[in-house]
Amino acid sequence: MIEMENINKVYKMGEVSLDALKEVSLSIEPGEFISIMGPSGSGKSTLLNIIGCLDTPTSGSYFLEEKNVAGLSLDQLSAVRNRKIGFVFQNFNLLPYATTYENVELPMLFNGKSGKKRRQRVIELLEMVGLVNRQLHRPSELSGGEQQRVAIARALANDPAMILADEPTGNLDSKTGVEIMGLFVRLQQQGRTILMVTHDTNIAAYSQRTINLLDGRII
Amino acid sequence: MRTPLLRYFAKEYRKRKKKTALITFAITWGTLSLLLLMSFGRGLTNSFRISFKGLGDNLIMIYRGQTSKDYHGLPKGRRIMIYPRDISLLSALIPEIELISPESNDYFTITGGGRETNRNVCGVGPSFGGMRSMIAESGGRFINEDDERSARRVAFIGWNMAKNLFPAENPVGRTIVITRVPFTVIGVMKKKLQSSAYQGFDADHAYIPYSTFSRIDSQLYLDRIHIQPKRREDNKLVERRIREILGRKYRFDPKDDYALGVWNTIEQAEVAGKAFKGIEIFLALIGGLTLLIGAVGVTNLMYALVKERTREIGIKMALGARRRHIIIQFLLETVFIFSKGTFWGTAIAYTIVRLTRLIPISYEISGIQTYLLRPVFSLDILIIFLVVLGILVFLSGIFPAARASRLNPVEALRYE
Repeated sequence: MIEMENINKVYKMGEVSLDALKEVSLSIEPGEFISIMGPSGSGKSTLLNIIGCLDTPTSGSYFLEEKNVAGLSLDQLSAVRNRKIGFVFQNFNLLPYATTYENVELPMLFNGKSGKKRRQRVIELLEMVGLVNRQLHRPSELSGGEQQRVAIARALANDPAMILADEPTGNLDSKTGVEIMGLFVRLQQQGRTILMVTHDTNIAAYSQRTINLLDGRII
Repeated sequence: MRTPLLRYFAKEYRKRKKKTALITFAITWGTLSLLLLMSFGRGLTNSFRISFKGLGDNLIMIYRGQTSKDYHGLPKGRRIMIYPRDISLLSALIPEIELISPESNDYFTITGGGRETNRNVCGVGPSFGGMRSMIAESGGRFINEDDERSARRVAFIGWNMAKNLFPAENPVGRTIVITRVPFTVIGVMKKKLQSSAYQGFDADHAYIPYSTFSRIDSQLYLDRIHIQPKRREDNKLVERRIREILGRKYRFDPKDDYALGVWNTIEQAEVAGKAFKGIEIFLALIGGLTLLIGAVGVTNLMYALVKERTREIGIKMALGARRRHIIIQFLLETVFIFSKGTFWGTAIAYTIVRLTRLIPISYEISGIQTYLLRPVFSLDILIIFLVVLGILVFLSGIFPAARASRLNPVEALRYE
């Protein structure tokens, strides 16, 4: 699924440069549920962003499903994200002016899925996360747990093989967090690969493998 | 671009309407104020120009004077008179003259329509009307050659006199009595703007053939001679030739400015024309500054509006939006907001200009409204405005969006 070799990421801030990732190599098989852990500033979000093609490595090679992602243009990376990757963020990142329905529909609008299939898929996903009766609400009218469920439904819109989640329970109370993790476990049972950044060991316990990062290195 | 996506953009725009209301209003307001400023400014200079021609177009007036210099042994302070026979002398000796007419006037009691008034009666030649921008209301005419030759008792009257004597009926064909002599009214003057005058405005006067006038009035000399040169630019030449010819005849120094009164309205009009040009440049300057201030405000608002959506752009890109999806959405929104704002601004300004022009104006000199109530809606200003503001708004709307779409999504997502 994922083959990473000697990935480096350097952030330049004026004169100072910061090595966020140093010589990271990583291999992930399809269907794995992995937690990425580490203290603040250890580079776990940077690693997740590079895996999710939201950011590009400074050097190193990255193969996603046998395809070299390193040399792709911004638009090609957009297409990869659209079809292969679903994102779940800590702060949900729903579009504030769009309804639940529209938020879930949007990734399909970017690749031109036909109207009928789109409608079916949105309803199917909202049924899965239990929000069919909330489809005309805006994010501001939903609770944190509901918003994160909308985000998960949205992440699944184009049926991606991989779900990337950055502290998905970070803004939720523990009871809601458990509900969200229940959804993740179900997704894995459907055969999806899940990568999750967290610093909560209780949450990491849902995964099968944990990658620990410290100062930009895997330990 | 696919229609469902465009439909989604439209939905998003409608939901964000409140956020864009301010900028739409700013564009509307800017369009409205600039168009009104320029329309009323143009109307003002326009009315000035028209009223300036109200006295007469392309006209030189000569009147009696008093010498201020000794000349060939003659003392200064002599009165210089002009006489009817000078008319033929001047037209014979100055080929540059197109039209020439005598004028003498006196106050007479005039009765007509059962009413009485005391007004200025002017004896003039047939070419006088044209030189003095006097046009007859339909159904009437000005004095003609036959009237002059036969010394007919006919009168052309100003619109105020017509209103005073015959408030409810058409005076043409009716009889008025000027100092016990009956005259037939042959025409009523159409209303005109007039910014300068002597012995009252044309609206209050009665005009009769000079030959007739000289029979009811004992004055042998003329009060004025009106001259129109063939070409405007000959006005100084004609003026000089008049002074030379009459100076030789009546023995005064042609360089003595006081010997002969000369009112050269052409020269005056040229000076005034420069003043109007000045006002127009001043208006253009104010318009430009207004546009600049408006543009700064509008582009700033637009820029902020797009900038605050950087994170939203990041989210969309994370979900798979391409650069063109982002840019087209902002382009459409910018075009829409701009069109809406300028449409309403233009529509309101146009309506105000049209409605203002419907307000009746008085043709008296005292009325400032005469100058203010005839705004001119100018298409050229609208076009310049649309192009300049359009480019600025376009850039301020597209530039930040295009820049955000070039970022790594993760940077756009991090934007607060």
